[in-house]
Amino acid sequence: MKLRTTEYFLRESLVSIGRNSWMASASVGTVAVSLFVLGVFLLLVLNMNRAASIVESQVQIAVYLRDDMDIGAIRWVGSEIQKIDGINSIEFVSKDVAIERLRSRLGDQSYLLDALEENPLPNGFNVTMREARLVPATAEKISKIDGVTEAKYGQDVVENLFDITQMIRVFGLCLMLTLAGATIFIISNTIRLTIFARRKEIAIMKYVGATDEFIRLPFVIQGVILGFIGGMISAIALSYFYSVVSEKIFDSLKFFPLLPQDPYMKFIGILIIVFGMIIGAAGSTISLKKFLEV
Amino acid sequence: MIHMKNVSKAYPNKVIALERVNVDINKGEFVFIVGSSGAGKSTFIKLLLREELPTFGEIEVNGKDVVHMSQSEVPYLRRGLGVIFQDYRLLPDKTVFENVAFAMQVIEAPRKIMQKSVNSVLDIVGLSDRYKDFPDNLSGGEQQRVAIARAIVNDPAIVIADEPTGNLDPDTSWGIMQIFQRINDAGTTIVMATHDKAIVDGMKKRVIEIESGHVIRDQARGYY
Repeated sequence: MKLRTTEYFLRESLVSIGRNSWMASASVGTVAVSLFVLGVFLLLVLNMNRAASIVESQVQIAVYLRDDMDIGAIRWVGSEIQKIDGINSIEFVSKDVAIERLRSRLGDQSYLLDALEENPLPNGFNVTMREARLVPATAEKISKIDGVTEAKYGQDVVENLFDITQMIRVFGLCLMLTLAGATIFIISNTIRLTIFARRKEIAIMKYVGATDEFIRLPFVIQGVILGFIGGMISAIALSYFYSVVSEKIFDSLKFFPLLPQDPYMKFIGILIIVFGMIIGAAGSTISLKKFLEV
Repeated sequence: MIHMKNVSKAYPNKVIALERVNVDINKGEFVFIVGSSGAGKSTFIKLLLREELPTFGEIEVNGKDVVHMSQSEVPYLRRGLGVIFQDYRLLPDKTVFENVAFAMQVIEAPRKIMQKSVNSVLDIVGLSDRYKDFPDNLSGGEQQRVAIARAIVNDPAIVIADEPTGNLDPDTSWGIMQIFQRINDAGTTIVMATHDKAIVDGMKKRVIEIESGHVIRDQARGYY
């Protein structure tokens, strides 16, 4: 493309924005508000997803062994467990360690254990998996190893947790797709009004032999500029919003694993701006389609 | 230059605008398309511009197969045609110069050539001194002259005009026709749809009459 034509496109886009400044402000406002809502949902979904992943990664399989096993047999069970795919870590917990842990967990009430004549807890292993979804099948496999009496992982809790995290992911994705679609629809309608104001010009361009690309490009650039400005406003607002909200959450729920502002807000900001530009371009392209049919 | 063979056009509402039309127009001819309103003149023009596609038949314009060309080739067909409408279709926020230059700008003509060509066509239509004016400050005849300048600035082989004098008084119309005659004298083919009897009778050019979608008369040096 010639340099002068590029100049023409940029000038036309800016002139058009200037000439329809009200419409341009409306488009920028719509993009900013829509992307802000989209951003809030994105943050919500990412944070819930992160919380879910953290909880999932903490799911352990507690493996209990028969009491009559010697150290060689215990090692053999450990090596058998290690052979299973997807094992993240395996820790041997002797019955002595197990009772000490129980004692410290009971805290003030640890005197209850003093009544016991001998340690009733078995030797065992704590196993964590790389992916939480592997837990049930792995527990099943471990329970079949000779010498293992039980492999427990809190079946009900884990299964419900999987359902909930899966639901959050699917729901979040659907919600964001819907919002993205709605945003494109609103933008294309707003831009349609500016195009409608210039429909005669477009028709004349068609009659004198302008290509569709030549006609489309200034409008697409206009959409991209408006999308960029809207995206910027939304990214700045979102960053401010997240810092305020995360401070509030941190004050009341210290343990909640929020996404850290840096670098996530930078990524989300860039994502929102790029998405704003894409929406602007898509909105212009969609709304121009009808006017190019001359 | 223009070749129509067995061309028929039916619209989706089942109105048959043209039926088995055969017309050949050679380079340098000046042709009037006449007929009453709704006879099919506008459809004839739209088919040449590829604004509409025929239901049947073959159309060749400027050596290009209009019927089978792809959508992306249409702009290049139109670059070889100058189009003029009854309502001028000028851009109100552009000056006379900019309106004419616009036609060159959209086909990405070099700036040096643009300046020269626009001045030259404004001279042909007699508006050299009005280049800074906006269309709203011009009379109907002057606006149509700007539209003519815009139509010929890219040096098209064919000028197609749809009722170009429809909104003008007789004296102004004659002024416009003299410009068309000068363009034709320079070798440009002119196809003009009109129902201005005085002009057709006065010019004594080839006349093609369309009635109810049929060509009922094709006469060299004809009358309305």
